[in-house]
Parts: sequence; C-alpha cells; structure tokens
Amino acid sequence: MFHWLEKHPFLFSVGVFLTIAFAGLVEIVPNFAQAARPTIGTKPYTLLQLAGRDVYIKNSCNSCHSQLIRPFKAETDRYGHYSLSGEYAYDRPFLWGSERTGPDLHRIGNYRTTQWHENHMMDPAKIVQGSIMPAYPWLFKNKADINTAYAEQLTDAEFFAVPYNKPVPLKDGKTTIIPMAKSIATAHAMALKEAQAVVKDMHNQNVKDAVAKGDIPEIVALIAYLNSLK
Amino acid sequence: MENRPLEYDYTVAKMFMLTTIVLGIVGMSIGVFIAFELAYPGLNTIFGKTIAEYTAFGRLRPLHTDSVAFGFTVSGIFATWFYVGQRVLKVSMAESKFLMFIGKLQFWLYVAGVAAAVVSLFMGYTSSKEYAEFEWPIDIAIVVVWVLWGVSIFGLIGIRREKSLYISIWYYIATFLGVAMLYLFNNMEVPTMLATSPIGETGIGSWMHSVSMYAGTNDALVQWWYGHNAVAFVFTVPIIAMIYYFLPKESGQAIYSYKLSLLSFWGLMFVYLWAGGHHLLYSTVPDWVQTMGSIFSIVLILPSWGSAINMLLTMKGEWQQVAASPLIKFMVLASTFYMFSTLEGPIQAIKSVNAIAHFTNWIPGHVHDGTLGWVGFMIIASLFHMAPRVFKRELYSKGLMAAQFWIQTLGIVLYFTSMWISGITQGMMWRAHDEFGNLAYSFMDTVNVLHPYYALRGLGGIFYLTGFLMFAYNIYKTMSARPVEESELQNASPMGA
Amino acid sequence: MNKLYLWGIIITAAMLGATYKTITYLGKSGLNGDIINKLAVAGAALLVIITVFVVVKYVRQMQTDTATGELADESWDNIGEYKNPVPFGWAVIFLGTIVWGLWYWTIGYPVNAFSQIGQYNEEVKADNAEFSKKYANIKGEQLVNMGESVYLVDCVACHGLNADGNNEKDAADLNQRISVKSVKYAIEHGLTGKLLGTEATMPDRSGLMNANNNYAPITNKEIDEVANYVAGGFKDKNSAGAKVFAGTCVMCHGANGQGIAGMAPQINGWNSKLIVNVLDYGKVGAIGKMPIMDTLNPKQKEAIAAYVMSLSKGE
Ligand code: HEC
Ligand code: HEC
Ligand code: HEC
Ligand code: HEM
Ligand code: HEM
Ligand SMILES: [Ca+2]
Ligand SMILES: [Ca+2]
Ligand SMILES: [Cu+2]
Repeated sequence: MFHWLEKHPFLFSVGVFLTIAFAGLVEIVPNFAQAARPTIGTKPYTLLQLAGRDVYIKNSCNSCHSQLIRPFKAETDRYGHYSLSGEYAYDRPFLWGSERTGPDLHRIGNYRTTQWHENHMMDPAKIVQGSIMPAYPWLFKNKADINTAYAEQLTDAEFFAVPYNKPVPLKDGKTTIIPMAKSIATAHAMALKEAQAVVKDMHNQNVKDAVAKGDIPEIVALIAYLNSLK
Repeated sequence: MENRPLEYDYTVAKMFMLTTIVLGIVGMSIGVFIAFELAYPGLNTIFGKTIAEYTAFGRLRPLHTDSVAFGFTVSGIFATWFYVGQRVLKVSMAESKFLMFIGKLQFWLYVAGVAAAVVSLFMGYTSSKEYAEFEWPIDIAIVVVWVLWGVSIFGLIGIRREKSLYISIWYYIATFLGVAMLYLFNNMEVPTMLATSPIGETGIGSWMHSVSMYAGTNDALVQWWYGHNAVAFVFTVPIIAMIYYFLPKESGQAIYSYKLSLLSFWGLMFVYLWAGGHHLLYSTVPDWVQTMGSIFSIVLILPSWGSAINMLLTMKGEWQQVAASPLIKFMVLASTFYMFSTLEGPIQAIKSVNAIAHFTNWIPGHVHDGTLGWVGFMIIASLFHMAPRVFKRELYSKGLMAAQFWIQTLGIVLYFTSMWISGITQGMMWRAHDEFGNLAYSFMDTVNVLHPYYALRGLGGIFYLTGFLMFAYNIYKTMSARPVEESELQNASPMGA
Repeated sequence: MNKLYLWGIIITAAMLGATYKTITYLGKSGLNGDIINKLAVAGAALLVIITVFVVVKYVRQMQTDTATGELADESWDNIGEYKNPVPFGWAVIFLGTIVWGLWYWTIGYPVNAFSQIGQYNEEVKADNAEFSKKYANIKGEQLVNMGESVYLVDCVACHGLNADGNNEKDAADLNQRISVKSVKYAIEHGLTGKLLGTEATMPDRSGLMNANNNYAPITNKEIDEVANYVAGGFKDKNSAGAKVFAGTCVMCHGANGQGIAGMAPQINGWNSKLIVNVLDYGKVGAIGKMPIMDTLNPKQKEAIAAYVMSLSKGE
C-alpha cells in the first residue's frame, strides 16, 4: 500500500496531512472552553497597564523573565502562590516565557515597588550587585504609545468580549469596573490620570516633568503594568 | 533529448544558497553577541548609548532565533529543494517557464520579507510568541512565500518523470504541509487597526500591532503545539530530507533499509504532533495534556533514531570514506548529534527531569546540540556537496573544510557542555533549601555562578562562527574560480588539494 | 580493547565527572536527598551513556562490517535502496515504548489519576511537618542564623548586603532603629501604617501640640530637635529635643520611647512584634514603600526579627 501511495503524490499528501492534523485537534480543542474563564479577582488591564505590557513585549522582557510560578515549594517560597489558569484570562498574548535568566515576575507587584523599579530599570547592577540585566535608560525618554494601547483595549472589548465598563467580581465579594474611554482624547486623559498616580512615588525629575506636561514616558506605563502583576 | 542526460537548472538553488550563507553569518554573529551579553552585561552599549535600545539582549534574541530559523535554515531548505527536487524527480526547472518564474518570485518575495522582518524586529515590533514573533503584515508575506513554494513542489511533482517519490520528497512534502498548518493557526491575530472607538474613530494606533486570537493558557497551548512542531517541521523533517539524499549520494552507498525509512517516516509524522505538551509541564494546562506530552516524547525517540540509524548503517563498512572525507564526517556527526538531541529532549520531557531543566540553560543547551550539530552541519554538508555541481567548479579547499569541521565540533562541545552543567546547577540551586527549610540561594546567587559558563558558551559560539566564515570563504572561492567541470561526477564531491 | 570504546568511555566519564563536580561543589545544594535532583542527574547520565555506546556500536559496524542485502529495483538519481529488514532491537524497543505508552495512558495513570496540585500540597505538608517540628523551639543564635538566611534571599534586593538600604536611598537602614529623616517624616505627615498591627495612627504635625509650649502646634525647630533626639537614641536627657519629646510624644510613645501597648510603637529600639508587623502590613515612610512579605511563614518572620534586632546590638 505504501509503495502505491508513494506513486500518488496527492493521496500521499492527504495522508500526511490527516496524520499530523489529528493530533493537533486532540491536543488543543478539549481545553478551550474551560481554561478561558477568569478567576474571581482577575481584572482586565487598564489602559496604562496595557501600554506598559506593550513596552514589556517591545523589549522582549519575556526572553529573560517567566510569568509562570510552578507548583513546587521552592517556587512558591520564592515568588508566592502558584499560577492559576484563570489568572491569564485577559493575557493576549500569554507571557509565560521559556527562559528564567532573570527571576519570575508573575507576582512581582506584591514584593517590589514603584520606586524600586524606577531605580532598577535605570541601572539594575546599581541596585542588585552583579545583575546581568541590561539598563533601560531609554524607557525614561520614549513616550508610551497610548493610541495603540487604546486600540488594543477596543479590540479586546469588541472581538473578545473583555468586560470593560462592566462589573468584574472581586475576591471580597464586591465588584469593580475597569473603564474604557469613549474617544482617543478621553483615553489620553484617562491614561494621564493613571500615570500621575504612579509618578507620585517616583523621583526622576525628567519623568515627573514630562507627566506634568501631559506626556507619558514608557517607564511609567511599564511600572503600572509591573505593579499590576499580583 | 531522450538520449542526453538532463540539464538541471540550478538558478533558484544558487540564489537560496546565497541567502543561506548570508543569513547564517548574520544570525550566528548575533548569537555570539547575545551570548557575550549575558557574560558581560553592558556590552549592549559598546556601539554607543544612543543605539543601546536596539542592541539590548531582548531586542536581539528574537533576531537571532528568527534569522537562524527562518533565514539560515529555511533558506537551506529551499536551496536544497531546488537542487534535490529536480534530481530525484528527474525533471529540470528549465522545462517549465512557469515554475522558473514562480521560483524566482518566491526568492525575491522571500528577500523582501526577510528585510521587513529584520527592520521590524529591530524596531521592537513583535508579538512575543517564540518563533512566531512577526507581526501580521509579515505573516502574510510569509504565507505567500510558502504558497509559492507549494506551487513549486507540486508543480515539479506534477511534471516528474520518476513515478515513485524518493524518501527526501516525502519529507519535503511533510515540511510544506506541517509548517503551513502550524503557522496559520498560531498566528491567528486581530490587527488593532480594525477597532472602532464608541464615537466612531477608526484606524487608531500602530499598523504593526495585533491581538492574539487566543488568551492565556489557550494561547500557550497553541503556541507550544506550534513551537514544538516548528522544531519538527523546520529543524528535523526537512533536515532528514537532506541527509537521505546527500549522504548516500556523496558516499555512493545505497540506503540501508527501505522498511526502516518507511516506519520512521510515518512514525515521526504520527507521534511528533502529540508531544508539544512537554513545553508546558507543571504549567496551568490540564494534567492530562502534560502527561500526554511526556508519553509521546518517549515514544518519539524511536522514529527519530530510526532515520539516524538508517544513515549510520548506510555507511556500514565504509570507514575509509568517513576517515578520508570531511564532508562525510559532517554528515555522520550530524546524525550523531541528532540522536543525542532526540534522546536528550525526551529525557527533559519526563516531568521530574523537566522540573529541573525547564527555564534553565539546559534547554538552550539541548537546542544547540540539535541546531548546531544537526541542522547546521547538515546544511553546511549539503551546500558543500552542491557547490561543485551547481557552479561547475572544483571545491576550493578540502583542507579548509577539514579544519572547519574540527573547529566547529569543538565549538559545539563547548556550547553544550557549558550549558548542560550550568543548567543543572541553576535548576538545583533554585530548588535548594538550607538546614532551616529556607531557600538556600537568592536569585542573584544563581546568576553569579553562571558567569564562567556564559563566557565559555560565547567562546564556543566564536569557534562555530569562525568555522562558518571559513565555509563561506570556501564556497566563495569555489564560486569565483575558473569553471573546470566537464561532466558531473556521480558520487563523492570533487575536491581540491 | 578497541580504541573507539576507550574514547566512548573517556567522553562519558568526562561529561559525568563535570556534572558530578558541579552538583557537589555548591555547599548548600548537591543532590540534597531531593528525588527530583536525583532523577535529573540520572537522566543526564543515561543520556550520555546510551548515546555514546549506541553510536560506538554503529561506528564499529562502519569499521568492520560490509554493506549487504538485496537492492530494490528503483533508484533515484542513482541512489539505491536495500530491502533489509528493520533492525530487530530498534523494532522491539519501538513496540515496547508503544505498549508502555498505552499502558501508562489507560492503566498506569489514566486521565485524572495524577494532579500536580495534589502533589504540591503533599510536598508542602511534608515539608511543613518536618520544618515545624524541627524548629518549634529554636532560639538565640540559631534563630538569628535562620533569620539571616531568609534575609539574604528575600530582603537584600532593597536593604542590601550591609542592611543599610543603600544609605537609606532604597530602603530603611536596619542597623539602627530610625534615622532623622524618618522621624521628621512621621511628624510632618503622620503615619497610617499598621506598626502596632492595629488601626492606631500617628497624627501629623497639625495634631501634635507641645505641652511645654502652651499647646501650640509643633514648630520646624522643635521637629529638628526632637528628631535628632529620637534618632540619636534618647541620649541627652537635657537637650531641647528631650523637652519636646516629653511635652509632645511621651503620652503615646512612653518616657523613653519604649512604646505603650495599644497606643504607639517602640521607637528607641526594635522589638519582634514591630518587625513582624512591618512584614505583615508593609510600611510607607520617608524613604518609600516597604512591601508586604507574605511568602514568609510566622517562624521565618520571627527569625527575621531576631536577625534585624541582632544588627543594632551594642550600638
Ligand atoms: C538579559 C536578561 C534580562 C532582560 C532582557 C531583562 N531582565 Fe529583568 N532581570 C534579569 C536578571 C538576571 C535579574 C535578576 C537580577 C536583578 O534583580 O537585577 C532581573 C531582575 C528583574 C526584576 C526584579 C525581579 C525580582 O524579583 O527582584 C524586574 C522587575 C525585572 N528584571 C524586569 C525586567 C523588565 C521589565 C525587562 C524588560 C524591559 C527586563 N527585566 C529585561 C535579566 C533580564
Ligand atoms: C496620638 C499618639 C501619638 C503621638 C502623640 C505621637 N505618636 Fe508617634 N506614632 C504613633 C503611632 C500609632 C505610630 C505608628 C503608626 C503606624 O502604625 O504607621 C507612631 C509612629 C511613630 C514613628 C515611626 C516609627 C517607625 O518605625 O517608622 C516615629 C519615629 C514616631 N512615632 C515619633 C513620634 C514623635 C517624635 C512624636 C512626638 C513629636 C510622636 N511620635 C507623637 C502615635 C503617636
Ligand atoms: C521592595 C523593597 C523592599 C523589600 C523587598 C524589603 N524592604 Fe524593608 N523596607 C523598604 C523600604 C523602602 C523601607 C522604608 C520605609 C520607610 O520609608 O520607612 C523599609 C523598611 C523596613 C523596616 C523598617 C520599618 C521601620 O519601622 O522603620 C524593616 C524592619 C524592614 N524594612 C524589614 C525588611 C525585611 C526583613 C525584608 C525581607 C523579608 C524587607 N524589609 C524587604 C523596602 C523593602
Ligand atoms: C525526540 C525529539 C525531541 C523531544 C522529545 C524534545 C523535547 C524537548 C523538551 C522537553 C524541551 C524543553 C521544554 C522546556 O522545558 O522548556 C525542548 C526544547 C527545545 N527543543 Fe527539543 N526535543 C526533541 C528534539 C529536538 C531537536 C532535534 C531540536 C532541534 C534541532 C530541538 C529543538 C528544541 C528547541 C528549539 C527547544 C526550545 C523551545 C523553547 O524555546 O523553549 N528539539 N525539546
Ligand atoms: C554561533 C553560533 C550560535 C551562538 C553563539 C548562539 C547563541 C544563542 C544564545 C545566546 C541564545 C539565547 C539563549 C538564552 O536565552 O539563554 C540562543 C538561542 C537560540 N538559538 Fe542560537 N546560537 C548560535 C547558533 C544557532 C543556530 C545555527 C541555530 C539554528 C539553526 C540557533 C537556534 C537558536 C534557537 C532556536 C534559540 C532559542 C532557544 C530557546 O528559546 O530555548 N542558534 N542562541
Ligand atoms: Ca525559549
Ligand atoms: Ca505573528
Ligand atoms: Cu518540543
């Protein structure tokens, strides 16, 4: 039969395709419905956090940092509770990473602060002796791309029913609402308000001045994102 | 016509040989650079602080992985296809103007796609998924190139004289189908330009941005179904296509066993796709998906080893050839590294071993056993075999080739031993608790011990890259020499002194 | 013996030796009796041994055997194919793995037989049982050492190796109870952390009246004076600062700043409860924000407190 197949390229190709497609279906499909549900307390990202997430992706922080705490005592001791599927419900794309050249960041918001990140991102080796993480001074100058983050928020809401402007359940039984702006202009105002809250705890004068002027440097968005990882 | 031997047309093969070499140099140089960045941080500022943003580790890493995978390796696949395809199907590209045009179109679109990809990655346009970093406009270009390649494959098959498909063709077909399916599904994404704000504003933000169709754990599942099989259909299947042609051809030996080829092929096709779960062990995907990934990884050893054993047995009794020809040495060692990495992978896929190995340097160690020892060596060997035949000149220097072989082998050994040791060290230090039941090491303790290994890996990289530059030089000198070849030699490559 | 086997053994020994060296030279890790460590190393060893010896076997065949078999009729670009059977060992092992896989999948560990979270819970339970039994009554020197071990993993990132918080730029200097700038901050802005573990707050300067001075709000000069007195360790009882303290602060913090239960924390030195409260509730102050350290268990917190207190001894 195989000899025969090898003389009939079309059927041969169909055979190969069926063989490889089958396993894919079994592997992927059954999990879809169940893994997508958010855990109670998991909120969609705010506008500034999304902009910060884009900064994280733009600089491929995920090439050194994981965001996945495995259920081992050694990991929960170091990073906190092991990760749960529903906590990633609003992560598009997921950012688990596959290298841990630097530590896991899935709950970094719990044990590091705005001020610490500010110093660390400017020059990691100064804060952590011997660090091999590169310094990121340009994040203090480049402006965060709020427009794109806003478009991303809209896409999430329109195509994937991410609950912006809708009540989201919290752990304590209450609900909260993560707002999404009506227009580009209001989006900018909203992001700026978030940025002001972050900058309050920062020291870099240029960054403070920029925000006072109405600009949002990338570092501010990035820190808003890092602080949201809990 | 009937009585004369066929005149194969290698125009497109030559074009892709060029990109194989150029992108190989680019990708490996970046590899060496990022390897040293981990040993000597701050290296990203040596080209000046103003462009440090573009030379930082995170920016360059995807450039490395994509230029070696989609540049060097995929070019190598195309180059060998446009050589091997004609010969085992017994049909010349020159016989079809249409296929010739499609081939050239494919090449130029590919070059344009590569240029766009390089620029966009430098700028930081990435969707973050490993080996699928490109944003959607580049995805589209890739799909078009791929479809054109499909037209070439099936077009050539359509006008073939040899009725029955040679083993290599099976593997090229599988490469085409596998990558097409995987790439499409993993890159399902919605461009954010499509969004409309409540007051009706459209076209907001950057063109080069999209949102993945899948979220969180599901996204991870699709990504590693893709990622694992990208390894299968880019770093394994087409490389097997190469060895099944170039080893018997170069040595003049017949394939050891058709039955073994057959079982290995269908076994590989069936088993590979189930094993992707081994990238997600102890993650938040369901336990059964993980278990399945582990089981199939173990089963996968045999179809993988089947091809390698078939190749080693093809060389049965031919030790004098192995000893005399560096070209055959490349291929025999490639099979060996293939066996090594396809045993290493399954061992790392055992849950308890993965608990140590995952996230550590042992993984890049495993990766480079495969990519440097198997993929790199096979592509180099293939091009060495092709060069005298497509350029109709003798190979410039066999001595240089032999030196290259030893230098690169040393490079690989340095690479994987350093990563092996540092990976296991890292994994154990992360887990270690001291006599009080507290974590024994801070994260920085586990970074500090790695320095010598990172440096050693960089050194290994320099060796490998040096060898590759020697290769490029050898091919260049071959190409630019005076043509001498009248009729083509059947087996072993003609060699200069 | 054949040269090839010798090489095989040398390569294997070198790889395994290097691996062994790595896992033993680190004082605190090594195999550690951890089954995961053992399996990983066993896997690594197996990998080298199997690959080297299987390849040696085939290379031997290249050296000594000759190619035989019946050639198939076809040839592609002059490449022939033998009709040899599949190697027996390969086929048997292949079948073996398939049978094993099916067994594992259906009988050994069928779909829901294993839960990684269950495994984790057991690991933690076993660990805690051992840990709490062994260290239930740990005291003194040993408790300090335990605290140091936690400090080195969890706290150095901010407080630094010398525990001076990079000269109080990044975090509090733990070698002293408190610095001038922190006292000033407490007075000027008040404090609403939970240093006592309760909602008790410290008023800001508008709520701090100096009894020595007709209950007028505290002045800048007085703040300077009292801050130096407090941060200086309550030494000069005749200083102006001491007077301000006696007039404004004693009712809450006690005559020597030893603190009053339920009212205000000790500020003339550390106590264990105070430090544990900082770890439990975090703190915001002059230097910045101290995060909540909730990955630590109560014993570890107690140990850290002992360690921090040991730092300022004899000052
Ligand atoms: C070359 C690898 C590398 C890259 C790229 C990298 N980091 Fe790091 N990162 C490290 C290492 C190593 C550490 C541990 C040493 C330290 O704290 O500096 C670290 C530590 C951190 C920490 C502190 C985590 C902790 O638990 O103390 C944060 C936060 C962080 N990085 C964020 C980032 C962000 C955000 C980016 C991208 C903009 C990034 N890193 C890029 C290697 C990297
Ligand atoms: C009404 C009661 C009250 C008065 C009066 C008062 N304090 Fe306090 N003080 C507190 C409380 C309660 C806290 C703890 C606040 C917290 O938990 O964040 C505190 C905290 C402090 C701290 C911070 C300790 C630390 O670890 O950072 C300092 C320093 C301090 N007081 C100094 C003073 C001085 C000096 C005065 C007088 C000028 C004063 N206090 C008057 C109630 C008081
Ligand atoms: C992200 C940085 C960070 C980490 C991690 C951190 N600290 Fe702190 N810590 C601070 C800062 C900032 C302060 C100063 C707060 C202030 O302004 O008073 C502080 C203050 C303190 C204080 C003094 C509180 C007082 O009343 O004066 C203690 C005690 C302390 N930290 C202990 C620890 C211990 C123990 C750990 C580790 C288990 C730790 N810290 C981890 C940042 C940190
Ligand atoms: C039987 C065959 C193989 C199996 C079962 C296998 C298994 C594995 C496993 C378990 C991992 C580690 C996942 C993790 O913990 O992060 C891995 C990673 C990897 N392997 Fe293999 N491997 C095999 C063959 C190969 C070959 C031949 C190559 C290349 C030539 C290769 C390339 C890679 C790459 C590139 C990664 C890294 C993926 C990432 O980015 O995380 N593998 N493999
Ligand atoms: C000169 C030789 C090379 C050097 C020095 C080198 C170096 C590196 C470095 C430093 C990394 C990053 C590892 C990390 O993040 O810790 C890497 C990743 C990678 N390289 Fe190379 N590389 C070389 C050649 C190649 C070649 C030829 C290929 C493919 C054909 C390749 C494929 C990859 C892949 C797939 C990864 C990703 C691995 C992962 O995610 O686990 N490399 N390389
Ligand atoms: Ca990876
Ligand atoms: Ca894409
Ligand atoms: Cu894989």
